[in-house]
Amino acid sequence: MGVQHCIDRMAHDSPHILRVDVLPILRSGLVDSRANTLISSLPKHLAGKIAATRTSLGYTIKGDFSEEEATHAATNLFSDPIIETFTIDGSIGAGQLPDGSYSDLTVQVGFKPGVTDNRAMAAEDGLGTIFPNKSNKVASTISYHFWLHDDHLELEELVDHLHNPMLEEYSILDGKNRTGNLIRFPNLKPQNYVEPRIIDLDVDDGELERISDDGLLALNLVEMKAIQGYFKQQDTQQIRSQHDLPVDSPTDVELECLAQTWSEHCSHKIFSAKIRHTDNQNGTTSTIDSLFKTHIVAPTNAISKEVDWLLSVFHDNSGVIAWTDEWSLCMKAETHNSPSALDPFGGAMTGIVGVNRDILGTGLGAKPIANTDVFCFGPPDYSGTLPKGLFHPSRIFSGVHSGVRAGGNESGIPTINGSIVFDDRYIGKPLVYCGTVGLMPRYLPDGRESHVKTPRPGDLIYMVGGRVGSDGIHGATFSSLELTEDSPSSAVQIGDPITQKKMLDMILEARDAGLIQVITDNGAGGLSSSVGEMAELTGGATIDLGMVPLKQLGLKSWEILVSESQERMTVGIRGDDSDEFERLARLHEVEATAIGTFSDSGFFQINHNEKCVGLIPIPFLHEGCPQLQLESEWNPPTNPDVVLPIPTLRSLSTALEKILERPNVASKEWWVRSYDHEVIAQTVVKPFVGLDHDAPGDAAVIAPLPGSIIGAVISNGIVPRYSDIDAYSMTAAAIDEAVRNAVCVGVDLSMIAGLDNFCWPDPIESEKTPDGKQKLAQLVRSNQALDDVCRAYTLPCISGKDSMKNDAVIEGQKISVPPTLLFSLIGRHKDITKAVTSDFKSYDDRIYLLGLTKQEIGASELAFMIRESDNSSGIGTSVPILDPERNIALYRALGNAMENEMIRSAHDCSDGGLSVSLAESCFGFSGGANIDVSEILLGDDELDEWGALFGESLGRIIVSVSPECAMEFEKKMKGHAIYKLGRTTSSREIKISAHGKTILNCDVDSLKAAWKGTLDRRA
Amino acid sequence: MGKPNVAVLSGFGINCETETITAFEMAGATAKRTHVNRLVDGELKLSDFDILAVPGGFSFGDHLGSGRLLGNRLRFSLREEVRAFVASKKPVIGICNGFQVLVKMGLLPGDEDLSMSQTASLTANDCGRYEDRWVTLEFDRNSPCIWTRGIERLRVPVRHGEGKFVTNDHKLLDKWAQKGQLVAKYVDPDSTYPSSSDEILPFPISPNQSWRNVAGVCDPTGLVFGLMPHPEAYHSTWLSPDWTRETSLKHGPSPAMSIFRNAVEHSRNNREVA
Repeated sequence: MGVQHCIDRMAHDSPHILRVDVLPILRSGLVDSRANTLISSLPKHLAGKIAATRTSLGYTIKGDFSEEEATHAATNLFSDPIIETFTIDGSIGAGQLPDGSYSDLTVQVGFKPGVTDNRAMAAEDGLGTIFPNKSNKVASTISYHFWLHDDHLELEELVDHLHNPMLEEYSILDGKNRTGNLIRFPNLKPQNYVEPRIIDLDVDDGELERISDDGLLALNLVEMKAIQGYFKQQDTQQIRSQHDLPVDSPTDVELECLAQTWSEHCSHKIFSAKIRHTDNQNGTTSTIDSLFKTHIVAPTNAISKEVDWLLSVFHDNSGVIAWTDEWSLCMKAETHNSPSALDPFGGAMTGIVGVNRDILGTGLGAKPIANTDVFCFGPPDYSGTLPKGLFHPSRIFSGVHSGVRAGGNESGIPTINGSIVFDDRYIGKPLVYCGTVGLMPRYLPDGRESHVKTPRPGDLIYMVGGRVGSDGIHGATFSSLELTEDSPSSAVQIGDPITQKKMLDMILEARDAGLIQVITDNGAGGLSSSVGEMAELTGGATIDLGMVPLKQLGLKSWEILVSESQERMTVGIRGDDSDEFERLARLHEVEATAIGTFSDSGFFQINHNEKCVGLIPIPFLHEGCPQLQLESEWNPPTNPDVVLPIPTLRSLSTALEKILERPNVASKEWWVRSYDHEVIAQTVVKPFVGLDHDAPGDAAVIAPLPGSIIGAVISNGIVPRYSDIDAYSMTAAAIDEAVRNAVCVGVDLSMIAGLDNFCWPDPIESEKTPDGKQKLAQLVRSNQALDDVCRAYTLPCISGKDSMKNDAVIEGQKISVPPTLLFSLIGRHKDITKAVTSDFKSYDDRIYLLGLTKQEIGASELAFMIRESDNSSGIGTSVPILDPERNIALYRALGNAMENEMIRSAHDCSDGGLSVSLAESCFGFSGGANIDVSEILLGDDELDEWGALFGESLGRIIVSVSPECAMEFEKKMKGHAIYKLGRTTSSREIKISAHGKTILNCDVDSLKAAWKGTLDRRA
Repeated sequence: MGKPNVAVLSGFGINCETETITAFEMAGATAKRTHVNRLVDGELKLSDFDILAVPGGFSFGDHLGSGRLLGNRLRFSLREEVRAFVASKKPVIGICNGFQVLVKMGLLPGDEDLSMSQTASLTANDCGRYEDRWVTLEFDRNSPCIWTRGIERLRVPVRHGEGKFVTNDHKLLDKWAQKGQLVAKYVDPDSTYPSSSDEILPFPISPNQSWRNVAGVCDPTGLVFGLMPHPEAYHSTWLSPDWTRETSLKHGPSPAMSIFRNAVEHSRNNREVA
């Protein structure tokens, strides 16, 4: 790409363009922190050539403003008189500073036409406040001004760091002619409305496939033939002729609507497929008619006979549990992987604000009260070759982090829990899991149960919030395909948390006023999905696309129907309530437009300006998609054994320090601290705990009702490494990790519910995926584990999601993620004042290990670490095996001890095993620990020091107990696996001995420095 | 006599109205979630309230500078109502984004004439980013601030990216200091009370490198108070990050509740006088 020819520019702006640019003043005690942050994020070879950097924010304004008015706006709106200076002729933006100096080089960056520009929208609102009678249109820019040491700057590389070409354009401003090269106002090309096309499906199979491929419909031949077949039916043709529709062919509106509804993203075809499963390990073959029904719904249904708190599972936007007599909680987790690969900031931000809408769209509307985020990235220090078109993992990491931070913080929802996992195979597609917890009253003031939707035929359909644009078209079908260099930029969007926040405030007020009968969000598939889904409740709906407010004119009918433009809810309102609903919308400055009515016609009817452009029977829309027929075949992989060094004081001690430095284990505090984890004042156990608030917490505890000690626990489990040996073990381990973490803070085990979020590589065998049968077998085994473990733990899944195409194909190279399950847990806490944290509390407390330790180092963090430095070593085969019955009994006994306030600290053993867990408990207080593991070693013949210290056997928790309580605690735990290890000490060291010999001795401060050093950007 | 009525502003990205309402109600007031437009449209009258609270959040996404757009809405649409409110000795608090709003609309540090012209600002933290962490505040015992009476120190969370208090007029800074308007400062928790200093303390004792370690200021009357940290986020003892390490802690309202009780008490007395 030639940097000089990047954009088409006009030499001069039109007279109605005003350019306000705002520059931070530098003087004693003031810095340009935006510039400082930029420099610290640039690679050293670039930063080294830059002598100084300043930044300015620009506003390109279309409107009729006199110079006096422009100065008024610049003084009172755009700039801060105390700390900033401005120009109104573009000169600062072009690098001509008010003191007469010029930058050596200025790079101006602005959004492409049609991209959400939040700063500009705020500016338009602000101009409306000071000039209520003037219309205006604003575009924002940012200018980076550089003074260089060295002319040989890698300009192209610098520019790459300053913008994302998918969303933004830039201009290089240097030399003399500067303002003439400023970025023009990003006008959208005017689009002329085109009538819906008629798609002739009376064609051969090859042509059917071509129609699907060319249209990005992501429908396979069998599905295309089902659609073809529907239009050949006589009844179809008869009813279509009555509506003046093409009788034997769909319109593009109808085909798009079916493609969205039948997309893998929306209809979970793989989880509903009939699978013939061959297990070559035990020589059996079986048929599974829907993994979802067999292994997810069935156990939850069985558990629902044992518990009375499951209010709404699987069918709504999130699962709902009866948390107290007056309040229910709901939870949902989503992924936003493909968009985050293309635009990490926007993709992640729309991920978090999108899942917030799932909560708002649950029942009659719940209030989002907590976010959780789990990310899987390529290693931040990745130095291998990177296929062209992919961002470096560190850029994805920081972009995703910024997006989630902006989305969560600006929405006023605390981010209370999360995790980050690193693996080479996430380079192609990162996984960005965003979860949200919601709170709603069990009953509304009008007596209705708030988890039950109550629409009736005749209710008005309102679209509320943002407008519809050409952004976000084909997100659902796009995420049902692999990522390629040709992936469409229209699938990427930037969220607008403030529009959403206004809508959220308004919706909750409308809910409490009893105005809402039915509500759902507009996410994947847009109106097509939201109205299409709700139409199932009354048996029909009619909408008119001509009523839908648009961001730009000229959108085609099908584009309006399927656009995934953000920040929109679809709401059903009784006709009598519409005035009050619209009044509330005006008060909150939220757009709410009636676009249709619910009916019982049996059809989803789509009109455009009163002309029918689509008519699809509700049953065909929702049940017409043919079931996939798939085959899976399980062959246990062969992995070479782990080559363990001789266990010595030195090798074991060094290993602990090294493992604490590894990104998977290392402290993420620097990143987590920039999330607001305390807004709305309910977070009782925060992400970081201990004396200096920098030791890792196990699970979040919240107390959402002011003044009440009833709480909720939120935790996560994720261990994709174990899939390299067996996805059954991976799944069992993820569930146990979530439960174990919750147990550590004192969850009430009689009310725990789960969410399963699968992110898989494409598991359908094809030319592109020759190993599809094995990948599908991994999915089968994962589901079998979910079924077994959830039943044993009385842990019903209440909601879940799957993302099944996590592959990237770039320049012919395919990178697939390891099969990954995120298991999220929400549970009750009976008394949050008895919550327990992971940090040791005082010297001379007794330390115990609960749970059995075996020589289970297969696919452990240790195994991966050894393999990285020793080519002859593999990751082994001894992946941890879960014994859920034994564990749950132990967990209940521990929970009982916590209720009796006998436990001073509890921390689970996961990545890196017992030694890492012990170190982390020491990080939260001022002392150390002295323990003896002889008893553990004696418990299992095969166990050696590596296994005892670094093995990852499941179901294990390290607790500390005051000397006074020790005897009673031991008595209470009788019959369970409990090992008395030693005691906490005032000396700042960890000393581990076995059979009279010291086998590990480390200084706690050195360990902590190692643990904090890797990912802390401040270090 | 009835409980004082508090208008707790909401809307446009204000996020902390719920816990601000909780804090005032725990302190003995009646607090009402009050959308800014209900005041602007005249549906509600500011003069019917006894206390005004501008809570934290991200009003208008902090675009164009934190607090700027909401500050302008209040400055251009409710100017006289706000001036009359303060003139009738009614307390006003701005927390975090609310503090930024009050500073940018010129109500803080303010002047005797209530001229509402901006004399200070809150700019980006020197660390260049938003952080959530707990800090220790020390309050000036000689301040006229009615909100901080009798409080020496408090542990509270900060959650902001733009909290560095600055001005372009050092003489004003000296004047505010002398009048006790620089009422809340970040302080080293290991020091003994009183020990606040003008020398900027290192990060993270000072989370933002605010001039003279200023965390909160009041107007010359002491009625209008704004601060970057969030006392309302610590209304109950279990919201502290340290409670699990404390032995023999009695759970209930936290020490930070004194701020809200002070204002409620002032309002009761103000009503009696009136």
